[in-house]
Order: sequence, then structure tokens, then C-alpha cells
Amino acid sequence: MKFKLHIVACTVILFTLTSFQISEEVVISLPGDEVYRARMGEAGSMALFPLTEPDTDPVIIPLKRAGRLFLFDAMVDGESGNIIFDSGSKSVVLNSTYFRNRSKSVKVNSSGITGDVDQVSEITVSSLAFQGLEYKNLTVHLAGLGHIETKKGVKIIGLAGFNLFRKHETVIDPLNNELRLYRLDADGNRITKTPDFIPDEQQKIGGSGNILFLKGTIGDKQMNFCFDTAAETNVISSHSGKQVLNTLTITRRTTLKGAGQSTAEVLFGKMNDFSIGNHKITGMETVITNLSALTETYDTHIDGILGGSFLEHGTVCVNFVKSRIGISFTKENQK
Amino acid sequence: MKKYWIILLLFSGISAGQNTINALFDPGKVCRIEDGQLIFTLNLRWGEKEKKELTGLFDLDSLLLAGVYRGETEITFRGENWKVKKTGSGMVELYKPLDGMADGGTGKPQLYDLMDQWMNFRGETAEEQEVYGVNRFRLVNAFVYAGNLAQFYLPGFEKANRVYLAGSFNNWNTAATPMRFTGKGWITDLRLAPGKYTYKYVVDGRWTIDPSNQLTERGGAGTPNSVVFCPNHVFRLKGFQNAGRVVVTGNFHQWNPRGIAMNQLGDRWELPVWFREGTYVYKFLVDNRWMADPENPGTREDASGNLNSFLEIGEPYLFSLSGFPDARKVVLTGSFNGWDRGELVMNHTGKGWELPYVVPAGNYAYKFIVDGRWMTDPSNPFTTGSGETQNSFIALGANHIFELRDYSTAQNVLVAGSFNNWDPQGYRMVRKEGRWIFPVYLKPGKHTYKFIVDGKWMLDPANDLYEENQYGTGNSVLWTGQDSR
Repeated sequence: MKFKLHIVACTVILFTLTSFQISEEVVISLPGDEVYRARMGEAGSMALFPLTEPDTDPVIIPLKRAGRLFLFDAMVDGESGNIIFDSGSKSVVLNSTYFRNRSKSVKVNSSGITGDVDQVSEITVSSLAFQGLEYKNLTVHLAGLGHIETKKGVKIIGLAGFNLFRKHETVIDPLNNELRLYRLDADGNRITKTPDFIPDEQQKIGGSGNILFLKGTIGDKQMNFCFDTAAETNVISSHSGKQVLNTLTITRRTTLKGAGQSTAEVLFGKMNDFSIGNHKITGMETVITNLSALTETYDTHIDGILGGSFLEHGTVCVNFVKSRIGISFTKENQK
Repeated sequence: MKKYWIILLLFSGISAGQNTINALFDPGKVCRIEDGQLIFTLNLRWGEKEKKELTGLFDLDSLLLAGVYRGETEITFRGENWKVKKTGSGMVELYKPLDGMADGGTGKPQLYDLMDQWMNFRGETAEEQEVYGVNRFRLVNAFVYAGNLAQFYLPGFEKANRVYLAGSFNNWNTAATPMRFTGKGWITDLRLAPGKYTYKYVVDGRWTIDPSNQLTERGGAGTPNSVVFCPNHVFRLKGFQNAGRVVVTGNFHQWNPRGIAMNQLGDRWELPVWFREGTYVYKFLVDNRWMADPENPGTREDASGNLNSFLEIGEPYLFSLSGFPDARKVVLTGSFNGWDRGELVMNHTGKGWELPYVVPAGNYAYKFIVDGRWMTDPSNPFTTGSGETQNSFIALGANHIFELRDYSTAQNVLVAGSFNNWDPQGYRMVRKEGRWIFPVYLKPGKHTYKFIVDGKWMLDPANDLYEENQYGTGNSVLWTGQDSR
């Protein structure tokens, strides 16, 4: 599928009206459907547990940023590079540029985008290791991630979400750019006595999958959001209804042109009336677009995605044993 | 002719003034969604500048806007039905139903691409281009640099299990450069070329800024990183033991008389500096008294007749042209000096013409102009372009050689890739010792490329790494330099 995205490059217009403006047409080839299928493939979505762990508790994984993507260093069967921490992915996905020569099998996803032949390539790797954690003999998916590498200018060997971290309590700390993994007992309590994470807001994790959902409200309407660390901004469905859409400030619009006459309008703006629990967050950047194609694949209806713009506002703690996700909001003086 | 220019300038002045008056353009107040309608509030007094901004920010085509400003009330444009209504005091509302979004169904990968675009629009990846830098460490032995060997020392952290050094020199790899414990702190040595680097320590997984280093800058993660310079020049001034303050200043410091303070070391004053490749002029200020560098014979006179010391950073490349003993003037011109036809006049030698010239590492096209006649360099087999646009090519600081074995009967072998905008007339490879070669300078990072053998595009058969492209034929992938692994 190839969309032509007409964008006028006006880099600094957001900041100054006197800037000179340069127009150009940017043609973006979108090889991403394969990536999407690989992320959402059921076949590789089982929880993975490390066979080796370092002595320290918590294990701290330093995160790096490429734009608003979170990356960590890893080694997969001798190939080193960055892995994107992608909480919106059910599976581990490796970049076909570096792993295409492995023997692979093709699996059909049990759920997928209607009408597509929803296949995903699978390979087995002996070892995935980072920060003293090592996972052995994993079945992972394969997809071309070269377009992300090119845009971000860093070597990306793969992406991985919570199926690596279900055994631990995971704290995503964007302020300090780290993931902290705490060991848990059978009841989901921290084994090593460390001060517990004190959430300002806590919600129950629904379902048994690796993808998490958060309930929030916009304009008094309750919304179901996918929590996705690989989304650089938030997203709101254009079908969210008047009471939601009327609250947004729109600062940008573009039109994606698909095959034939079909077009998809995408808006960009700010969320002025978002609350989660008792906490109100204003000014978060968001994309507004039609998410109906996406909603089907989550096995649940979603009204939007909370991504990079949301993570700027707090620390998130995920405990699969207790089925709890908590958020501690960053106080102004911590920023 | 001059008169017309003056009139034009006057008009443009008025236009600029008008824009100032109309500086009501707030992108946050132009567009809103209301009850299922996408509504743009437009000021009919807005000029071309504002209309261009509207097109850029909101994808409103100039033809659609022209209709609005002509006073049309219903406009169908690219299948969308727009309406316009006046709202008083020179304002109109342009609106349409929001349901245009239902047509496409934007998949997730496309969304990520958009977010990436919009994030980059905000200039988050902007890179500064300093020409020089001086270190500011609180602790003398926190960073030592000599002979391209850098030593980093982090005092304390006695209870840490593992400490790593991560920075721009190792692609911020958090596990590539371990530090060893000395009993009082952590130390590591690594080979670094002169340059500017940003870094942090990773203490048991935790990012830690260098506590001994006063220089920081905001990194991509929004938090500060430590900054270090590996110097490639040392300013030295002997004597002046009784001076209170000695500074150096020059064109790299906008001749700021406050200058950069030098350090007194016994009988001399010193300052190690990193300079980007190029040419610099400077002077010392000893207790506010200007003086040229007494130990540097290289001087240049400025327009006011002042003699300044002169410094070239980087190895000069000797451009040369044999023969042409009777030529009156030979000029070197190329992409390194904007194809200036008069700046780089070559020197006549017994055997021909030559000119030493310092240019930063990079790929350059060039030609000689012999008495007004343009010609490629007869001694250089490497060229780019073809026909009249064929130029000699040189890669200064070349760090990679593209190589294709066999294809001995091929007539025309080129390499094209992300480094030359996939120019199909791009870099013409040269047959040498049973293979086709082309040396280039590639910036650190990722490059994609293909060979073109007699018009046929092909992957590099000697490179296993390739990624898919939009044609389904793949592009070879190459990582170079410090940022590669």
C-alpha cells in the first residue's frame, strides 16, 4: 500500500510567523502493514521469561530516545543494536534486515485487518540479552523496520513490549529515562524491600494480553485508550462524538491519499479537557483520525491511544501478577 | 532599472508593514471542530504570507483559498464540499463535515509515520554547528586527552556493581564501554578522534551526568548530557608570568574582547581547543593588550591593515594540474566553494599548477578553469555526472570504498544511494585490478545504495544486509562510522 502524503515543510512556523516558508512534496512509502501484522500477531505473543537475571533488584534498563521512541540496547544472537520499547506490540518483532537469513515459517494470525491476507513470518532465535537479562530460544516475528531506522538514524534490530516483562513489576520512568524491573513473589508483591510505587491513579488490567488499556475521560465522556509507548503522540478517534471533538484545539491538518479517490483526513491538535481518575492533563498533543481499522484488531473497542504525549506527564507502573497499572503524575517541580 | 527596484522595495516594505498589522494569525485559533463540522475561521485581510501558512499547516489548497477570497459560498474541491459564510468584520468561516475521515481508515503504520513527521517538524532533532569548543572540568583528571586517547574518570560510586560510559562516540550504547573500578572511582580509556562528544555514565543502569564536568547541553531525551571536546589545537604563549589575565579571541569567537581565558602553567599560558576543520584568525589579549601569536609565523592582514595570526585546522589537500606552461591563469572551482570562478587561483610551479586547500571531509565535485576554459582533472579517473555536467570527483577523508567484483565486460558502472540522492548519473565507478571501485566519504550512520551496471539496478552481491523498498527490489544497507554499532 502506498500513500502519498502532501506536506508543506514549514519547520519553524509553529514558533514564528515571520519565518520563510519552503514548500515541498514529501512522498512517503509506507511499508508498515507488515510491521503492523508482526506486532499484532498472536503466534508470538506468549509471555517470555528470562532464564538469566542479574543479582540486582530492581534491574534498571537505561532507555534512550529517538524522537519520542524509547530504545534500549540489546544483543540478539550476536547482533547488537537498539530495541524499541513498544507497549502496543503483542510480540517481539525483529528487523528482517539483520535476521532475514534465518529459517522462517509463515503463520496466519487468528485476528487481523479484515480483508487482508494476514500472514506473519516467524523465526526462532537462541538468545535475546540486555542488561544482564537473557531470554533463550524465542519464537519471534520478522518485519522490515528499515524505514524507522532511516527516519531515526539509529540501528533498530527489533521492537518488544510487555511480553518480556510480565514476571516483574515494571516501572516506566520517562523522567529518568529508565525501565525498572522489580522481582515479585507469587502474590505480586516486591521481593526486595523497596519503597512501593505510590500511584495517583490505579486501574485494573483487563484481559490477559500484553497490550494495556487505560480509561480516561474527555468532555465527560469515558474513553478507552490503548497505552502505547511506541506512539509518539496521543491519538483520538474521529468517531469519538461531538462532546469529545468540540474540546480539541486543531493546529494542523493533512490528507493522506490512498489508491483511487480514497482519502483519509488526519488532524493534529491539543487535548484541552482530558482527565484520568481525578487528575486533569491539559495541552497534550494528539492526532485525530479514523481508528476503525485499528479497533477491530485489539479485540476491544478503543477510542484512542495514549502515547508519548501522555508519558511526558508521569511514571507508569505495571504489575501483571496483580493485574494493576498505576500512574504517578510528575509534579511541576520534578520536570 | 535601479528605479524599479526602489519602487519594488517600497512596496515590499509596505507589505511587511501590513503583515505586522495583521499579525493576528494564531494557528491555534484558526481551526476547530464543532458539532461534526471542521471549521476554519479566516480573516479576509490576510495576505499571501498567511495564506501560504494556511496551506502549510492545514493542507488547504491555494485554489480552494482563492475561491474563498473571491467570495464564493460553496466550493467543491477534490471531492470535498466546502461552504463559506461571513461572520462579520472581515471574517469568514470555511467549513465542511468532518466525516471525510471515514473514507480512508488510517492504519497504524501510517499514523506512526505522521507522528514522526510532525515530531520532526518541531525541530526536535536540530543539531548545533559549533566551530570550536573548550572543556570545563572541575576536576583536572576527570578527562585527559593525548594522542587520540581519551581517559574518562568518574570518582566515587564505590558501591556500584557496573558502570558504563555511553555517548555519541559509541552511539549511546549502554553496554559497549565498561569502566573499571580503581578503588576510588571508575575509569576507562578509549580512542577518540578530535571532535565534540556528548556522554553520560550508566551506573547500575541509571543515567548519570558527569559530576566533574560543567559543560552540558540538552539531549534528545530532554535531559542534560555532559559535553566534552577532544582538542586538536593548543594555543600557547610563553612568558608573561606577571600578567593577570590572558585570553584568546578571533573570528571563531566573533572577536569578542572578553575572549576565552587561557590557563597559566609555570612560564607559559595554554589553552587546548577543539576546532572544526577550516581556517581561523586570532589574537591574544594580555591584560587587555592585543598581540599576534609571537610563535606563529602565519599571519593575515585584515581590511583595516591589522595583522592577525592565522591557523588552518585540517590537512590541506594539494590540488594539482600538470602541464599548461603557457596558461596565464588557472582557477580551481568546485562544490566546496560554491563553484566560485575566481577565489582559488592556483600557483604556477615548474611542472604545472597547484594549490593546497583545506576542506572538511566530504564528497566534492570540481573542475579547473584554464584561461577561462573549464576542464575536468585529467589525472583523476573518478567523475560524477555525464556529458557537460561531468565533473571530477574527490572524496576527502574517504572512509569507504564501494566495490563490485567481476562484470569485466560492463561499460558503465555507477553507484547511487541515499548519500547522493539516488542520482542515477551519480558516482561513476572505475575498473581497477579486476573490480569496480568508488571511494567516498560517508557520514556516520545508515546508508542505502545500489549499483547500476549498464543501466540495470542491482543489490550489492557482497553485502548480506538489505531492506525492502517501495519497488519490492530491496536496497543494500550499510552502516558507517562511530554511530554504526
